[in-house]
Amino acid sequence: MNELFLILAVVLLLNTTVGLVRILSGPHPADRMLAAEMFSTSAVVIMLLLAFATDRPPLVDVALVFALLSALAVVTFVSRAWSALKPTTDTDDHDGGNR
Amino acid sequence: MDWLAHTFDGLLGLALLWLAWQAMHAPGLFRSVVSYMVFGLVMALIWVRLEAPDIALAEAAIGAGATGALLLSALARLKDGSDAGRLHWRHPAELVFWLPFAAVTALVLGLTAWQLPAPGLGVDVARTLGQSGVDNPVTAVLLNFRSFDTLLEIGVLLVGVVAIWSLGPAPSPIVPKMPSPALPALGRALFPVFVLAATYLLWRGSHAPGGAFQAGAVMGAGGILMVLAGARPWLTGEEQGPWRWLLSLGLVAMLAVAVAMAALAGTFFAYPPALAAPLILALEISAALSIALLMFAVYLCGRPPDHWEAED
Repeated sequence: MNELFLILAVVLLLNTTVGLVRILSGPHPADRMLAAEMFSTSAVVIMLLLAFATDRPPLVDVALVFALLSALAVVTFVSRAWSALKPTTDTDDHDGGNR
Repeated sequence: MDWLAHTFDGLLGLALLWLAWQAMHAPGLFRSVVSYMVFGLVMALIWVRLEAPDIALAEAAIGAGATGALLLSALARLKDGSDAGRLHWRHPAELVFWLPFAAVTALVLGLTAWQLPAPGLGVDVARTLGQSGVDNPVTAVLLNFRSFDTLLEIGVLLVGVVAIWSLGPAPSPIVPKMPSPALPALGRALFPVFVLAATYLLWRGSHAPGGAFQAGAVMGAGGILMVLAGARPWLTGEEQGPWRWLLSLGLVAMLAVAVAMAALAGTFFAYPPALAAPLILALEISAALSIALLMFAVYLCGRPPDHWEAED
């Protein structure tokens, strides 16, 4: 069972690392932000898998803090950065990004 | 089992290096900020792999959460998406100096880490843990064996807030640029969870990973969430108000305990074993409250007004 948890953790990490390409290629700021959010969601799962695979209950608390604070990043993005970044998407992203 | 762990660690290390490079050299500040936020998450995972859940908690709360919010908000305030002040190699000749410099620094650091005594101070901490008043070795070091360092850390935070307040008034508007009915509802639903999690982490600190810094960071992040959702902060900058006292509560409490112990026992910060547990708990609560308010005050980016004007 523990081995299964570890395999799942590695697969999830691989998956999100590939997903990080979205931060590189964008094109819209929302795409980059969602890639970061996918990472933090997966990090919660990876942390929980590690907690049970290696039998370390404190890691569940780390997962809890991850889950709470990933909401903060998205709320900041939506309420502050998104509207402010819209006029500058043309300079930030070469292909416009209006979808 | 072994190769799995190696694959996991290798992936984490590669992702960390790549994200660090992106955060420094990506075109476009937004890309750098997002890379830096993910960098914090990867760093927290690495701290977990290094068996340091306390630092992982702090990194998750401060590095990935509060710093991300601070950087994104600062980015939104920049008038144009200008790349002024970015790091560029101005001249290839600079590499001739910096590459050997970096190589020598890495070599010296590696050699020093290699020559560290193998068991370190962990043995001593474990032996004297019984007299410290807590069961968690990290809390024992932070608030008993090395309280002086913690005193200075809280002092640094307070000095940071004083410097930020002295730069000028907090910028307005404080309300979201894009009002959404979902945000206040989300804030109201999530804030109690932040309070609960912070209290839980504070209580856990005496016997498991957690403690004042982590609890304060989570609590401060909850306050930032409420401001982002459109709430008016309570914190005001008035000179005679309670907030200045609360901001410095952690430092004042630690100094008071240190001086009182110096008067009683003759040594700065030497708790009598019988009093250690309640003293550490009192210090943790005051430090956590103070750290939460300090993190929130940093986020306001300036001295808040004496009275927040009513929302229109």
